[in-house]
Amino acid sequence: MDELESDKHVKYILSIEKKKDDVEALLMEHLRINGAYWGLTTLDILHKISAVDPEEVISWVMKCYHEDCGGFGGNIGHDPHLLYTLSAVQILALFDRIDVLDAEKVSIYVAGLQNEDGSFSGDMWGEIDTRFSYCAICCLSILHCLNKINVEKAVNYIVSCKNLDGGFGCTPGGESHAGQIFCCIGALAITGSLHHVDRDLLGWWLCERQCKNGGLNGRPEKDADVCYSWWVLSSLIMIDRVHWIDKDKLTRFILNCQDKENGGISDKPNYAVDVFHTYFGVAGLSLMEYPGLKSIDPAYALPVDVADW
Amino acid sequence: MGGDSSSEEVGLDLLQQLELILEHDKLIDEVGFVHPDQFPALNEGPSSSLSPVCILGQSAADILNKDTVELHVVQYDEKVFWNKDHKLAISILVLPQLYNAALNAYMDANRRYKQSIRSQINKGSFDDANCGCDFDQFLESEVLKHTRALLILSYDFKSAWNSRKLVLSRKQELSLFVDEFQLSALILSYAPKSEGAWSHRQWTVKMIAEKVHDLQELVKKESELVKNIAEKSKMNYRAWNHRCWLVLYMTESQVLDELNMSRKWAELHVADNCCFHYRRRLMLRILSNGDVKEGGEKPFNYNSNVYAVWKELQWNKLLIQRYIGREALWIHRRFLSQCWIKHFANNQKSSSPHIEATGLDDFLGEEFELMNACLNTQTDDELDDYQSQAKHAVSYILWISKQIPSCSEVKLQERLKEAVNFEDLFMKYPERLMLWKKVLV
Repeated sequence: MDELESDKHVKYILSIEKKKDDVEALLMEHLRINGAYWGLTTLDILHKISAVDPEEVISWVMKCYHEDCGGFGGNIGHDPHLLYTLSAVQILALFDRIDVLDAEKVSIYVAGLQNEDGSFSGDMWGEIDTRFSYCAICCLSILHCLNKINVEKAVNYIVSCKNLDGGFGCTPGGESHAGQIFCCIGALAITGSLHHVDRDLLGWWLCERQCKNGGLNGRPEKDADVCYSWWVLSSLIMIDRVHWIDKDKLTRFILNCQDKENGGISDKPNYAVDVFHTYFGVAGLSLMEYPGLKSIDPAYALPVDVADW
Repeated sequence: MGGDSSSEEVGLDLLQQLELILEHDKLIDEVGFVHPDQFPALNEGPSSSLSPVCILGQSAADILNKDTVELHVVQYDEKVFWNKDHKLAISILVLPQLYNAALNAYMDANRRYKQSIRSQINKGSFDDANCGCDFDQFLESEVLKHTRALLILSYDFKSAWNSRKLVLSRKQELSLFVDEFQLSALILSYAPKSEGAWSHRQWTVKMIAEKVHDLQELVKKESELVKNIAEKSKMNYRAWNHRCWLVLYMTESQVLDELNMSRKWAELHVADNCCFHYRRRLMLRILSNGDVKEGGEKPFNYNSNVYAVWKELQWNKLLIQRYIGREALWIHRRFLSQCWIKHFANNQKSSSPHIEATGLDDFLGEEFELMNACLNTQTDDELDDYQSQAKHAVSYILWISKQIPSCSEVKLQERLKEAVNFEDLFMKYPERLMLWKKVLV
């Protein structure tokens, strides 16, 4: 069986930072802070976060901070949004430097985005999605400020997005999708509300994501993709049904998506690698207790030694 | 961002050319990013009648070099842009320069626009219509112009979409929303999964809904847009999510129309789970209304609901038998059976002359026969599709067994164990081994 090319993946992640002027890099600029979170968390799982200078990262992250409102943008000068605020808080948590934040102010920003029905808008422009519920809840929990929102309403909204197949969508009536399921189950796990979930029914839906090649897809009729190794697997762990899938086959599928020459992991075997899939591949292996990796917390998406504050 | 000043100047020139093209050909409905070597091939395309566009601004004309073409109207560098028949191609070789120029122009215009708003607020004249002076309007059009160019290059650039929202929400002019639909449709033509574009469309619909009561026409057009995009972009989650969201704004008769119209589409795309989910969304809306208005005269009443679900079950069975091994069809059947069991099975009073089996046992018996038929069509050559069909059929019956009272579950599973050899199945479908072992009582 292939092995995880840890050193090459570390090199690959460190090299991304230097390729800032590629078209691909330019077109990802608006979500650079998400990319930073994926890359840094991967380094940490591989025990190599020491390869970056924490001060440099932290000072850049804080340049994405909007002092006037308390949210973070995806890059310097970009508008604040919950998606980026969570990544910023997660990065600071990785370096154990939450102290540089005005936690009160950030949590007021996050809490201010909760709507009357318990849902969360991603930013002041009002788009609603269960992804944003997860961002808000995860972020507030890291900051120990969950008391700033109406948790009961937040939970009820998430539950209202549950479908008859046991899965969850973006909004009530939205199609079940493994990414959305991770967000909903993660938020319910953090708030201690997993009793709202029919574990057998959802577990059934999730483990039917495993394709013949061992990889997981995100919805019925789709091809397997490495990123679902994270979304599906973490959800299965949170609802205690991970033994319903074949982990050896999944491990082989992920390892088969590595670029063994230059490092990095792609969505499917022999496709182009990117930092997003590198993170999800390594994180998926960590969830399956692949030797030599730090374990990752399935709800907070941070290494356990970080999440265990 | 790197780049020396001459490269910046070139970028700025190109940006001005792009913005002029966009300004003068407002009907552009397709954009492509291609290598300039491909431009000649574009000219030889089936419809190459020259159609451009208006007059170029004087200042930009001065700076164009010898590669520039002059079609009696708009001038642009022919090695960089190609614009005909409302189609636009942009050379991939200039993307970094063009992007950086668009980014800088946008950031600058946005900063000045926000500053102007702040100073108005500080003067306490935010609501004063007279204060919407020329300068303010100039900045607004600058923001709209530069975000248009930037978003065409980087369609999920959230801040740029936001700046457009800011301008629109301050102006509150319905006519301006048309541009938003056009820009997002243009982007969706080459980036059909763009979250930014879909989200902006949703925001625009919401803004219009605040002002206009009758949304039927708009909702219909949005739904058609999704249909057209879904044709080219299979299983597009964002697109179908938009359509599911629209159901909130539909009238009852529109829901029925959509259900009728999406039927044919589903038949032609039997592997597209999104479309079947959309039908589920529509049916649930009908069923939920039925609960409230039981016996009413509205289109949604109890008997017609029973009939609708029954008809869908029959149709789905036909598709399952015609298109072998399609997971989406079996998933849809799970939903339909679940509805049937929950709402109608054992409910004799709902019986309609068209419907044969209404009791739970009869219903389960029919489903079991369907599974059996699917297992028996399996041929010796063990084609993939037939293998999948058998797997989905067995899975379906097992799944249904968990949706019924436990006494019926035991009975159904006993029948299943008699009909199929599970040891055999475990060998054939190892990826389902753990799950099936677990659910077999």
